[in-house]
Amino acid sequence: MINKYKFGTFVMRFFVYALLFILLLIVIVPVWLLLVNGTRSTTEINQGISLLPSTHMIENYKLLLAKGLDLPKGFANSLFLAVTSTVITVYFSFLTAYALVVYTFRGRKQISNFIIVLVMIPMQLTILGFYKFMANLGLTDTYFPLLLPLIANAGGTFFAKQYLESMVIQDLIDAARIDGASELGIFHTIMTPLAIPGMITLGIFSFVYSWNNFFTPFIMLSTRSKFTLPMLVQLMRGDAYRTEYGAIYLGLGLTIIPIIIVYALASRYIISGIAMGAIKE
Amino acid sequence: MKFILKPVGSIHSPFTDKAQTPILPTRSQFKKIPTGYLFLLPFAIGFLTFGIYPIVNTLALSFTNTTIMGGDGEFVGIANFTRLFADRVFLRAVGNTWLIWTLNFIPQICIPMLLAVLFTSARLKIKAVGAWRAIFYLPNLLMPAAIAALFGTLFGLYGPVNQFMVRAGFLHEAFRFIEDIWVTRSLVIFINWWMWFGQTMIILMAGMTAIPIHLYEAAVVDGASVWQMFKWITLPLLKPILIFIFVTAMAGGMQMFDIPFLLTDGKGSPLSSIQTSVILMYIKYNSPKGHIGAASAVGVLVFIMTAVVALGIFYVLGNRDKDDTKSKRKSLFKKNTERSQS
Repeated sequence: MINKYKFGTFVMRFFVYALLFILLLIVIVPVWLLLVNGTRSTTEINQGISLLPSTHMIENYKLLLAKGLDLPKGFANSLFLAVTSTVITVYFSFLTAYALVVYTFRGRKQISNFIIVLVMIPMQLTILGFYKFMANLGLTDTYFPLLLPLIANAGGTFFAKQYLESMVIQDLIDAARIDGASELGIFHTIMTPLAIPGMITLGIFSFVYSWNNFFTPFIMLSTRSKFTLPMLVQLMRGDAYRTEYGAIYLGLGLTIIPIIIVYALASRYIISGIAMGAIKE
Repeated sequence: MKFILKPVGSIHSPFTDKAQTPILPTRSQFKKIPTGYLFLLPFAIGFLTFGIYPIVNTLALSFTNTTIMGGDGEFVGIANFTRLFADRVFLRAVGNTWLIWTLNFIPQICIPMLLAVLFTSARLKIKAVGAWRAIFYLPNLLMPAAIAALFGTLFGLYGPVNQFMVRAGFLHEAFRFIEDIWVTRSLVIFINWWMWFGQTMIILMAGMTAIPIHLYEAAVVDGASVWQMFKWITLPLLKPILIFIFVTAMAGGMQMFDIPFLLTDGKGSPLSSIQTSVILMYIKYNSPKGHIGAASAVGVLVFIMTAVVALGIFYVLGNRDKDDTKSKRKSLFKKNTERSQS
């Protein structure tokens, strides 16, 4: 009886690992092909599939730039936007969440619930009203429309609230008050250092979001020198690159490599953050 | 200003001076306005300016014939909306969006559910769960624009998929995948699944590990099968999480843009089979004159549709059984949150 059970477990395990291995291939192979083909010349790519890197990365890179795609500039733009939006999102999300967790005032519960509802509102669909508003202010084709709305980031605030609820120590705040610290001072000097792990997690998410965001910059920006990486990807789909596969793959690869590096360093923060953001009453 | 007179809870420390009775609002009286409101001020201002105002503005634009080139247009009533329903393009785009999203959501919930059950199984004891999870989540972080362009290239006429299929003898000659309606749709569905199944799995696993083990122990004693335990314990207790996954996936799916836009020519080719609502909105916005009024009408309708469906699901599924099981569940998920945070 016991042996039969053990054998059954063994067989099941075999099939489960087989399934996991297939899924592993499905996830990895496209990404790996992308990275490898970036190092192969177009001739090599046309000759056949290979999972081994080749030596033509520099050539591909030169080819990519020769067609008028300013990849370093796009990289710098994306990095600037991602870093700035991360700072804004993290600071203001935690500031708002701090108010909702630490202070008691009328309507606190309602505001918290309202923010949860806001997370699910499809804001992308109101982009045209936003565009017109920004156009009237003369702010289209600048980075302000991409940064200013992050002051009121519902998703970030919700995450920060979940995090702060788990770690705020009211006694510490009261002690600081008795020592004469101002309310904002307490947030800056006492809460912020304690909340750093949560801030890193939220920071990674907002960095990745900004880095990958295509739609908003695509609507708002029109000068080529201000384009972000996803917009350059869109240009790469154009005719000039139709047959230069090596260059296309390299260009696509360069846009995802920074994210893969961030993930390799911080996957622990990211995985724990997803579960935290999702589970609620 | 009723709230000034009220004790304001935790910020009302015994050291606040009550004796001072100022005539002008002094610093100490200012302090009595709940500090929480002051902390909320940036969010409130940001939300009203960049959240509420654009919604109102989009709605207002949808009743005008404004173009980007022509400046502010005139009020045209519901002409934009009647035109949308008249020419069938809008309904086709909404239909495409729902079709692609539904066919994507079924595997996006079923496969992660299976994986989550396997990973949390006490019998199988799968090794390196953390590593599998981390790898399966990876696609979610990659740039959708780049992924769509990647798959467009992989399935191109001279792409690696055709090379492989022809050389291995599955096809006689290269197949124009991207020109076939169902292949293209399937690709959009597959890419969406590929990007989101890991995320769904992590959320489901967090929910499953929070279910008290003694429920399963009691079920085993009663002779329940694995399937019965899944059906009567796991599924009901996961319901709040499943609703969350469904609603967020739906709101995201209705806004699908990057992948169908960049997979083919940016208009939803072939034969507009992957033209989603947001692509249609973009096409109207990007027309020679820039019909921003007509494009807003698309946004308004899809916005209302998404909000109605999301809220409907919340109220129908969330409140159907209001009896004592709900309070039990609530306390369970409180525990759940605490555990996932530690």
